[in-house]
Amino acid sequence: MIPRSLLPLALLFGSLALTACGSGDAEGGSSEEAKYELAVIPKGTSHEFWKSVHSGARKAEMELPVSITWMGPSKEDDRIAQIEVVDNFISKGVDGIVISPLDDTALVPVLKEAKAEGIPVVVVDSGVNWDGYESFVATDNRQGGVVAARHLAELIGGEGKVMMMRYFEGSASTSKREIGFLDTIRDEFPKVEVVSGNQFGGATSDECYQTAENLLINHQEIDGIFCACEPTTFGMLRALQDSDRAGKVRFVGFDATDKLLEGLRAGEIDGLVLQDPFRMGELAVQRMVEHLEGKPVDKFVDTGVTVATQENVDTEAIRALWNVDFDKWLK
Amino acid sequence: MNASTRSSLPLWPAIRPIAGPLLGLLLVLGLFWFLEPDAFLSARNLRTVSVQTVIVGLGAIGMTFVIASGGIDLSIGSVIALASVVAAAVAKAGYDPMLCAMAGVATGAVCGLVNGLVIARLGVIPFIATLGMMGVARGVAKWLASEQKIDAPAGWLENLMSKAEDYRILGLPQAVWLTLLLAILLGLVLRHTVLGSHTLAIGSNEDTARLCGVRVGRTKIWIYVLCGIFGGLAGVMTFGRLTVGDPTTAIGEELDVIAAVVIGGASLAGGEGRIAGSILGALLMAFLANGCNLTGVPNYVQEILIGVIIVAAVAVDRYRHRTMEA
Repeated sequence: MIPRSLLPLALLFGSLALTACGSGDAEGGSSEEAKYELAVIPKGTSHEFWKSVHSGARKAEMELPVSITWMGPSKEDDRIAQIEVVDNFISKGVDGIVISPLDDTALVPVLKEAKAEGIPVVVVDSGVNWDGYESFVATDNRQGGVVAARHLAELIGGEGKVMMMRYFEGSASTSKREIGFLDTIRDEFPKVEVVSGNQFGGATSDECYQTAENLLINHQEIDGIFCACEPTTFGMLRALQDSDRAGKVRFVGFDATDKLLEGLRAGEIDGLVLQDPFRMGELAVQRMVEHLEGKPVDKFVDTGVTVATQENVDTEAIRALWNVDFDKWLK
Repeated sequence: MNASTRSSLPLWPAIRPIAGPLLGLLLVLGLFWFLEPDAFLSARNLRTVSVQTVIVGLGAIGMTFVIASGGIDLSIGSVIALASVVAAAVAKAGYDPMLCAMAGVATGAVCGLVNGLVIARLGVIPFIATLGMMGVARGVAKWLASEQKIDAPAGWLENLMSKAEDYRILGLPQAVWLTLLLAILLGLVLRHTVLGSHTLAIGSNEDTARLCGVRVGRTKIWIYVLCGIFGGLAGVMTFGRLTVGDPTTAIGEELDVIAAVVIGGASLAGGEGRIAGSILGALLMAFLANGCNLTGVPNYVQEILIGVIIVAAVAVDRYRHRTMEA
């Protein structure tokens, strides 16, 4: 009676076994002679930004003797979940870990542990308060904020009221952009007033959307807006569209997705600061392989920022930044 | 008929109530051992998974009491975050780690006390009362931390969760032993003390329990305080693990904790629940997540599987009940 009642559970795990085998094969090494096995750990897996990083990492995987496992934390913005992923790959004994840490402090103990176990670490996109990594491949985030501030200030003629919606508490890369923006406005544009620069949107587009709605209700008289990452920019764009103010307020955002580019072409967004996530993924894996092969690597690799506008968005140079062919790289 | 053969197994009476989660866990272990024979059952990996079970495991100990009493505590994720922030704030002010730990646990106890009072004295159903606390505790955590994380020296609290050889006892991190010890202790409390039997009595039938002289209100308050204490302790461990007090940590963790308890065989209708089962449920989920990482299975597969396992565990449990009643 009892054993029979447990049969469904057994069947369930049987099917799990099949799923696991199937996925394992699909994910595994596509390069023919993979000498090194790397774990590439993003902050999350659903944003297009991370898919571009993934694509770049795949490109490197195809060109180099390396196989990568792409594994984000089970919850997008959960520090503990990311620590656990790193932990699990240390257990597995991979040859190297490429990671974009969700937190500049909380990930330090586990990254130290990786190094102590002889697993080198390459940090990508977001920094960490530890210098034991082999290379840090990232956008100079502060510069991203500086460029955005200059662009926005120029759009509003060097005077007026601007507002900035922040991302979530403790996100290091976006904080640097936000500080770069605020510093530049303060130092270079004395006639521009920041009416709100301390509100956090939240970790998801959805939360950002709600915060943006509230901010827009509170600030009816503004000339310009800056958001320092994709979820905040998207949330703000939606809130502007809903309140019929899209196109009436100068708006500079960060990163590119189809929706944001649509907004840019429609004149609802006046500038998008673009990073090069594809190059980030590619260079990070390359640097790790070079390190594993005993070559010296630069401690910091800047992947650059560019402002896309309505005019230049479809030029070849800018297109290469946002039109990563996911189908080609990620199948 | 074959009842006699079963009862002839010496350990069967002890294992029987947790046979479901135990078998589930063994299946997960067997499966990933087969897929990843070198790494999965290595001492290092077992240690890793044991640490990863601590936070949900501690929460599940308290939650087992709540669910066995027919209640629910949706606030435990937020309480974990609040306790971790309080512990970090106390550490930042320069106090001893022991005081940080006590402050964190006390924070949890206060949240639990408020939950209990609202439920028992104001008559608000647990779902709503703890849903309210979920928002309040999360908000207070963000407020205390000024919407940032608090960087503070965790001192030896960090060592509790450390897998480094210097801090292990008999091969396992200290926090794992603490969790096991508390699980055994609270397992005994649930089975062999007045508080435990009253908890189960309230969960089975609150009116009958009241007629039999159980002080229902007071017992409920104690149950939620207990759950709060374990939430607070889980928060202290979270601080030790993160080395920062993070007001956004453990979002949705209450569902992991509830899932562990339900996979462990507790009934949301109350009257049933075993600490050992809940710990096995927490282990099952941790091993599943770990195994999926090791074999490179994407996270969405893992989420689907955990969803299926929760429903399957309850369905199997219902089936067992029906056949036992028949």
